Amino acid sequence: MSEVTLEIDGKEVKAEEGTTVLEAAKGAGIDIPTLCYHPALSPFGSCRLCMVEITSKGRKRLVTSCNYPVEEGLVVATKSPDVIEVRKGIIELLLARCPNVELIQNLAKEYGVEEPPYKPGDEDEKCILCGLCARMCEERMGASVINFVDRGVDRRVETPFQGTGDKDLDVCRACGACAFVCPTGAITLEDITGKTPEPILSEFDEGLATRAPVYVPFAQAVPNVPVIDKEQCVHFTTGKCKTCEEFCAPRAIDFEQEDEVIEVEVGNIIVATGFDLFDPSVIQQYGYGRLDNVLTSLEFERMVNSAGPTEGHIVLKDGSEPGSIGLIHCVGSRDEQYHEYCSRVCCMYSMKFAHLIKEHTSADVYEFYIDIRSFGKGYEEFYNRMLEEGTVFIRGKPAEVTNIAETPEEEGKLIVQFEDTLVGRQRRLPVDMVVLSCGLEPSRDVEEVARLFNISRSADGFFLEKHPKLDPVATMTDGIFIAGCCQGPKDIPDTVAQASAAAAEALSMISRGTVEIEAATAVIDESLCTGCQLCKILCPYSAISFDEEKRVCRVNEALCKGCGVCVGGCPSDAINLSHYTNEQILAQMEGALS
Amino acid sequence: MGKIRTADELDSLRQSIIEKLDPNKTCVRICMTGCRAYGAEEIRDAFDEEIKRKGLEDKVEIRETGCHGFCARAPVVVIDPQDIFYQQITADDVVDIVDKTLIEGDIVDRLVYVDPVTGGKIPFAHDVPFYKEQTKNVLRNCGIIDPTNISHYIARDGYAALSKVLTNMTPEQVIEAVERSGLRGRGGAGFPTGRKWRLARAAAGDTKYLVCNGDEGDPGAFMDRAVLEGDPHSVLEGMLIAAYAIGTKVGYVYVRAEYPIAVEHIKIAISQAEEVGLLGKNILGSKLSFEIRIKEGAGAFVCGEETALLMSIEGKRGMPRPRPPFPSESGLWGKPTNNNNVETYANITSIILNGADWYSRIGTETSKGTKIFALAGKTNNTGLVEVPIGIPVRKAIFDIGGGIPDGRKFKAVQMGGPSGGCVPEAHLDLPIDYGSLEAIGSIMGSGGMIVMDETTCAVDIARYFLSFTQSESCGKCTPCRFGSKVMLDTLTRITQGQGVEGDLELLESLAQQIKDTSLCQLGSTCPNPVLSTIKYFRDEYEAHIKEKRCPAAVCDALCSYYILPDKCQGCMICLRACPSEAIEGGKRMVHIINQGKCIKCGTCLSVCPARFSAVAKVSGEHVPTLEEPIPVSTVTKGG
Repeated sequence: MSEVTLEIDGKEVKAEEGTTVLEAAKGAGIDIPTLCYHPALSPFGSCRLCMVEITSKGRKRLVTSCNYPVEEGLVVATKSPDVIEVRKGIIELLLARCPNVELIQNLAKEYGVEEPPYKPGDEDEKCILCGLCARMCEERMGASVINFVDRGVDRRVETPFQGTGDKDLDVCRACGACAFVCPTGAITLEDITGKTPEPILSEFDEGLATRAPVYVPFAQAVPNVPVIDKEQCVHFTTGKCKTCEEFCAPRAIDFEQEDEVIEVEVGNIIVATGFDLFDPSVIQQYGYGRLDNVLTSLEFERMVNSAGPTEGHIVLKDGSEPGSIGLIHCVGSRDEQYHEYCSRVCCMYSMKFAHLIKEHTSADVYEFYIDIRSFGKGYEEFYNRMLEEGTVFIRGKPAEVTNIAETPEEEGKLIVQFEDTLVGRQRRLPVDMVVLSCGLEPSRDVEEVARLFNISRSADGFFLEKHPKLDPVATMTDGIFIAGCCQGPKDIPDTVAQASAAAAEALSMISRGTVEIEAATAVIDESLCTGCQLCKILCPYSAISFDEEKRVCRVNEALCKGCGVCVGGCPSDAINLSHYTNEQILAQMEGALS
Repeated sequence: MGKIRTADELDSLRQSIIEKLDPNKTCVRICMTGCRAYGAEEIRDAFDEEIKRKGLEDKVEIRETGCHGFCARAPVVVIDPQDIFYQQITADDVVDIVDKTLIEGDIVDRLVYVDPVTGGKIPFAHDVPFYKEQTKNVLRNCGIIDPTNISHYIARDGYAALSKVLTNMTPEQVIEAVERSGLRGRGGAGFPTGRKWRLARAAAGDTKYLVCNGDEGDPGAFMDRAVLEGDPHSVLEGMLIAAYAIGTKVGYVYVRAEYPIAVEHIKIAISQAEEVGLLGKNILGSKLSFEIRIKEGAGAFVCGEETALLMSIEGKRGMPRPRPPFPSESGLWGKPTNNNNVETYANITSIILNGADWYSRIGTETSKGTKIFALAGKTNNTGLVEVPIGIPVRKAIFDIGGGIPDGRKFKAVQMGGPSGGCVPEAHLDLPIDYGSLEAIGSIMGSGGMIVMDETTCAVDIARYFLSFTQSESCGKCTPCRFGSKVMLDTLTRITQGQGVEGDLELLESLAQQIKDTSLCQLGSTCPNPVLSTIKYFRDEYEAHIKEKRCPAAVCDALCSYYILPDKCQGCMICLRACPSEAIEGGKRMVHIINQGKCIKCGTCLSVCPARFSAVAKVSGEHVPTLEEPIPVSTVTKGG
């Protein structure tokens, strides 16, 4: 594409051949008002607002800039008296049609149009007939659910068969693009379809906010670039759309990109796969997922974050500020029905929440606990400070959270039913919001990861370290270390300490440069091996692999610990332990017994 | 008829057809298109029956032809070889015609055309002023041949131009000939046809389309219809030559579904041309392959606009789209497309056969050739007339059109239908061509000429034309959609006597605004009738607004009905017919209209017997009437 030079409002502008005067003007920072123009849609030329005066081949005339192509030496005036005059005229007509549409009112103000000289139309009329909705639906969404019907002044946007009142058209996906692109709010999805749109919930914001199919996962994501959700993107589901492509000036969007598997050869691996939050919806009596304003600790964490969905404001579902909040400890932890272990972090983060609530709101805070476990450095002091700040600590694990009021004071509130074990009485406490301090549990794919790295798991499901006291970051497999919550619940200081230790272990192996291996390793006699692979299954150290070509098993001497399980297990007697062959042992036995 | 494989085969076929024709055989040519509405079918059946009865089957040919043009005198028949012209005949007249004319060779006096000016009888078509003053080029076959018979067309040099082009001319030479002829688009805009073809030929891409615009929508205009109905092969031949010049393989004829005969005839013509190999692959042994498809339009006026027409062919709603890109670059399905009007294509054969120089000698400096006009309205001889471009307006209306009926005064003529403007009496000697008409605020347009006399109200006629375009506005662009509505509302108010000071200025400024900013020609030309009537009849507008008076006594709200005491015979016809019981009186008593009760429906005026003419419609003046009904005998009867 070659470049052409034209003059817009006395300014020399360079533009690519094939682009329009409007695009060239936009690129040069010259504003031309538009209503029916959209960068992702083909020029429609219906609103006539983008008219400019051009001088081409010595001839002066008014044209719409949205479709007029740039040409070498073209002289464009976007604000000449004639242009202003026709724009005013169009605004007058639009204002008469839609007297109460803000967009038109603002344009009228900008162009000094006070009252249309014509009889105003329906004061509720919002549609300016720009056709963006219909064109978006047809050109980009590929659905063609709506379009113009009737002609002249009766023209309007409708679904097919509008006379029948049948709105449940299969073709409409309730994607909402029409309403999204409408500049005046004239289109609502309810006018078009009986289907309810399903918002895409933001994973990072724990479903408290929605996101688009193309999005930046979170504010400090690395790399900090948008991704396309292939499951939700209209282009990947229907082959149409590609609207984002039109908006991206550097043309960075590539729909052909594929997932990539990168293989890296390493000597050590540190597994730090973390944890999952306990899902409290299984504890039905706490009402999570059933009652409004019952949140998990992670949801609350997003809410109080200033970069979160509510910009750090603690609000109820209706947008108001809560007057009282109950925090329930040990949800899913220290509970025989779920996890017997203590999740170690809940007491302290719950107290952090109490502190933040006090800081952000004037709400009363109630902490329902079994025992306060403030074991770390400075933790007990923080607990004392919370007591001083007025957080009410109630010893007793709530039995139920309900919205069924028994007294007028409980009306419209969440009632926490609990036994105050310090006074030995059953009580009910009405609050506006309940935060469940959920425990930590092994991540969902822990089993898969364990199998992949051949790591054993302890009774609680977390990865098992080689030795709890003497080798707490190593695993049974040399070169594989574990750090953080994948090994067991722990707070950030502990995680950092363990991670440092794991890194140091790995470094010590790297700096040594060599790996000391067991002298007595298993050796497979390939002439006897039948390729049954039983040894491969038996080996606890994943030291045996199968050679597909020769159809025999092989021992990786660096991994083999010489335990001898494979030797005993081999049905063809093909495996021997070096220095401890069957013949040698039999000979030793014979010598000892003779 | 077998396949015609070469140009020579076509020539010998033509010779053999001509040899078989007997120029002296009696032939009754009946218009079976427009005249059908006046009973042409019954007349044909009567002829068939009578001729059979008299055993004349071998001696007389009954030929169903296209429009003869003189629609005011429908139904018409012409009897060859004498060229006897009978008009306004009925099936009952057929026996006389067969007996007297076909058998005895005499003329049936009562069916002969009478000159309204001289009163003289004119029995032969070539002597009728309406025909005499015309130059038939495009319409040369209309009314002469049977349009459903390809032999008739071939006999009259049909497809000879195509044969010449394919054997002796390069595409470049064809375009050059069309350019040199000076032919301009007959659809209305008058874009030079040769230049259009050159653009389409130069456009990049192998696939190109040819489109024939037969979406004739102007009220009162029917020249394209007449050509498609009366001589469809001339359009096909023009398209074939264009296809050769531009390099296309597929053409579309877009024709209104409301023209069933046109659709039928063009379909027959296409299938006949395909049958003999004049459409299809390797036409006349050349490399030209061309097929023509028909798209029937659903009747929206805006589909005559080329981009809307293309959308309609694509199966989408016919709505104009902004240009550029022009169809010659990106038209039908995004491919380069050449679009010409029916009449334009029909002009091509004569340019090729007679030469560009011959063609360019007809017409004016800037507008060449002949143009068909649809003469309608308040003129004696309404119908289709083909004249050289450049004849004075006066000649068309007074010499060919026979002047204004009932001795009334000419007021103006609306040229170019609802997109055009009027030509007032002062400009009657203006030569009709593209430039001169534009200079006075009118246009050539597709060729509609609606004549208005002194009983036509300028405001009302402007309102009528605008109401047409307003209701046909597709509504896509703001100025046309809403601006035309505001203009129409204002005009309606004025005709209803509710005009206010400032209305004229509003109309003028809004009209200019719509002209400047509309998306397509429908919008940008719709204010023309208003602007031109304001220009030439401003006093009439002012009379409506300021004096609440309609000088032509047309606008009902501004008019009153009176019964003239000296003419009323007390017959009670109007009294009984009045829907609002506003007429008082009795048998042989002079009737009086109670102005308080009168709803100005005009029923009394229409029912009052012409020999009495006792009801007067006046505006802005008071007619002296009686206080109460008195016996008719007591009133002095005026002259």
